[in-house]
Amino acid sequence: MSEPLDIVILGGGTAGWMAATALTSLIPPTRCRVRLIESEEIGIVGVGEATFPEIRNFNDAIGIDEAEMMRATKAAFKLGIQFVDWGFKGSRYIHPFGVHGPVGMDHIFHHRWLRARGLGSKRDIQDYSFAAQAARDCRFDLPETRGTDIESAYTYAYHFDAGLYAAYLRDLAERRGVVRTEGKVLNVVQDPETGDIRSLVLESGETISGDLFIDCSGFRSLLLGKTLGVGWEDWSKWLPCDRAFAVPSERDELSPYTRSTAMEAGWRWRIPLQHRTGNGYVFSTSFINEDEAAASLMRGLEAKALADPRMLKFQAGRRLVNWEKNCVAVGLAGGFLEPLESTSIYLIQAAIMQLVPLLPGKIVDPRLRDEFNRLIDLQYERIRDFLILHYKLNRRDDAEIWRYAAAMEVPDSLTRKIELFRHSAIIERYRDGLFPPTSWLSVFIGQGLIPESYSPLADTIPGESLIFHLDAFHADLLDRVGEMRRHDRLINLYCGAELSGAPTATEMRP
Amino acid sequence: MTRRIQQVVIVGADAPAWMAAAAFQRSVSAAGTRIRVIELPTLLHPADVYSAFPELAGFHHRIGLDEDLLFSRCKAVPVAGRRFSNWSGAGAPFIHGYDRSPPPAAGLGFTQLWIKGRQKGLRTDFENFSLASVAAKAGRVPSGTGDAELHAAFGYNLDARAYSALLRQFAKSGGVESKAATIAHVETEGDQIKAVILDDGERVEADLFVDASGPRGALIGRMPGADFESWRDWLPCDRMLVASAKGLKPLPAFSQISAFRHGWIGLFPLQDRTAVVAAYDGSETSDQALLADLPALANMPIGGDAVVSDLNQGIRRRAWVGNCVAIGESAFSLEPLDGAQLHIVHYCISQLMTLFPVKTGLFPEADLYDRILRRLGGNLRDFQLAHYKLNRRFDMPFWDGRRDASVPETLQRKLDVFTARGRVPLYDDETFQELDWESLFIGHGLMPQSYDPRVDAIPEQEHIAQVQARMNDIVGLVEGMAPVDDFIAGVNPRQAAEAKAVG
Repeated sequence: MSEPLDIVILGGGTAGWMAATALTSLIPPTRCRVRLIESEEIGIVGVGEATFPEIRNFNDAIGIDEAEMMRATKAAFKLGIQFVDWGFKGSRYIHPFGVHGPVGMDHIFHHRWLRARGLGSKRDIQDYSFAAQAARDCRFDLPETRGTDIESAYTYAYHFDAGLYAAYLRDLAERRGVVRTEGKVLNVVQDPETGDIRSLVLESGETISGDLFIDCSGFRSLLLGKTLGVGWEDWSKWLPCDRAFAVPSERDELSPYTRSTAMEAGWRWRIPLQHRTGNGYVFSTSFINEDEAAASLMRGLEAKALADPRMLKFQAGRRLVNWEKNCVAVGLAGGFLEPLESTSIYLIQAAIMQLVPLLPGKIVDPRLRDEFNRLIDLQYERIRDFLILHYKLNRRDDAEIWRYAAAMEVPDSLTRKIELFRHSAIIERYRDGLFPPTSWLSVFIGQGLIPESYSPLADTIPGESLIFHLDAFHADLLDRVGEMRRHDRLINLYCGAELSGAPTATEMRP
Repeated sequence: MTRRIQQVVIVGADAPAWMAAAAFQRSVSAAGTRIRVIELPTLLHPADVYSAFPELAGFHHRIGLDEDLLFSRCKAVPVAGRRFSNWSGAGAPFIHGYDRSPPPAAGLGFTQLWIKGRQKGLRTDFENFSLASVAAKAGRVPSGTGDAELHAAFGYNLDARAYSALLRQFAKSGGVESKAATIAHVETEGDQIKAVILDDGERVEADLFVDASGPRGALIGRMPGADFESWRDWLPCDRMLVASAKGLKPLPAFSQISAFRHGWIGLFPLQDRTAVVAAYDGSETSDQALLADLPALANMPIGGDAVVSDLNQGIRRRAWVGNCVAIGESAFSLEPLDGAQLHIVHYCISQLMTLFPVKTGLFPEADLYDRILRRLGGNLRDFQLAHYKLNRRFDMPFWDGRRDASVPETLQRKLDVFTARGRVPLYDDETFQELDWESLFIGHGLMPQSYDPRVDAIPEQEHIAQVQARMNDIVGLVEGMAPVDDFIAGVNPRQAAEAKAVG
């Protein structure tokens, strides 16, 4: 048996500890040894307190108990994202984690809805989404995982304290064998011939060598960007926001959704946790100065601030490749997309879960590297297009940023999608990457793009019959939502931070 | 003025035209669209065979066609896969079975366990862990194995003319209008077909024309920008012969594809005969020489119904131009090496249904249809091409050339990543899933150099137990399956009674 692969992770934080935990949990010590270097002096960005449902696959894969994790991170459930004032001032819609209409009908349901609308039905498409309806009513129960029942029509994610999540994972990772070293990197030693990274020299004088280096150093991209010189692809012409202020406030309504409100120069988030509410303002300095943005954020708080606002600087884009030589970037070291759809932690997870099966040997096999880079590119580009859609598809005339966004040229891949939906309500599917058709649908419709026509296949049943079925489905949906528990009560019961030995998921099912 | 599509005219013949007619009759005609078929002369000969994937059952279910009719009327034989022999010199034949097991949630498939097992000295071939392949070797029909972890289904060998006739009768009884004719002239204006003029002078207008005429591309071939892009540089066979040989008793549960010096020979069992198909490079051997060699190559006497035709493999640059949509072989065409012919028709129909134009005039759906078909076509071409690329028939110019030739980047990536790690990158619009590619690659002798490191987290004893358990499960499931002849016999009597009752 050959020697195990020595993996060195540079940087703690969410990316570093997710990578460390996954590698050490999924791959046996005979195959890899994991070390992590972090410095307590360097703060972590702690991106994204809101997550995407895929996080549950990650947690399941590495063997995390949900209730325990939620207690430790003061987490709450999340059924979707509410967008306020996006398409036009006064608009409001939820991008739900689940289908619109009955399970298994998503290829035709919105066409039928469009037809019903033409017949005079006033209901919004979200009224047919179980997740959206439950979110609006602040209700939550764990979904059934089998069958095509209405209860399997949705999934969920979490709001949690990303710093606590990293700490929770750190504890797990260290217990599973990850060696943590406190310290700052002074120097990176490269192989003079191949350029591969050989070791990191710390301020303490200690030298840590390895076979594979995982760059979780955040925006600094110390290894991939700075040492290996991998270039940056700038996407700020499409996603112009370049700063964010973040501030916590006292806990108020524990709504099971993230709220994103379009503002004068960007958008603000509201993320309810068990012990506080996370708030932030993502903005573009091309359209507002920092002081005004901070003031705007503080003015809009719905509860008392618990700290002063903290600022982050960034640019939308990604490194030209995320794996170069023997260095793989995970998280912000590889790219940044604003947290409009809560994808930051998802991108960390995607990089890790694609690295694990493609983990190289002591010498990097370029075939594995290229495949990893191809998959990561797909992830970034699909999220990018979906985010741009939110900006492009607005009819606000009250602020410069919205006029700019509505007029800007967008990638061809996106233009095609918008135009096809406008013409005939068709949504293209793809295999890899986030956002199923139901997600695209919710943003298209939610931001006011009502197609000019719908599929003739929706015309195959008589109008009265269509309306009857929609009414019946909606009534059933309301009944079922009414039977769900209030989200805040469920949280207390299931994973209240002060509780211990809470019931298991199975016991929680009504 | 634009309006809803009111009239669809399908121009074509044989199964593709009637499949489209039946499918549209079942769906859009209920929304008020009229479906009419202009039936061109058939391209089929008595010896022709359709060899189809299990998914054809889904199509029949959607249009409401009774499956039993295939066995009573179309000489259907259920097959569990395809056996490839003589592709690797002295190497053993292998079966690509119609397994339908869903990939495991954690992404760590059985293949990874097998790769490690192999490296540790496991002797059992990969195909013995395929439910469909084991069923095929045992002459059994995979059916009723609804188990979530191991699942396989059967495909069909069908007498092509009988199947086309059945679909024709089904579509017409469902209300599809049709007229047998040839095309005298196609009247176009820009990229729109104004009318199709028939040999008797009738002028046929429609909002949408569907070209289901096969490789001749009766309509699409006249449309601007739809020129044919040949794949000859990759896929070398340009001649195809079909003939009949006597039936096999007992019936095998697979079709056989054997490579020979200048191409390949396929044997497709039917109830009353064996359809023999040969695809070959016409510059390597003449039709006469091939026909003379055929009994020896097929190892059976060949009947007198042999017919030879040109094989033009490739794809149209655009499959939907203006108000003309090509489906099946009018859009792209491949030799029947992996049995995708009816699948392509089915896929095109499904896509056209999803993208069915909402109104006359501009058709922005066309661009997406074209892109989907190019992806589908490219992926299927790659699958077939992999047989050639991975051949191990040495010292024969035809085969040496195929092995040395470069392949499209999309296939090269699959080969590379599989060789490196035993994983297969899949793209959008893939017909074949991971397990299909794996059995193809491994069957042709491509062994991964390493495996997913997560496999090493499984203790050795448990690993051995899992491998053993899978073999046992498969053996148990196959024992419960019916032999092909019994399966057909079980279907026939009931069907005969029903057919009588219906009259």
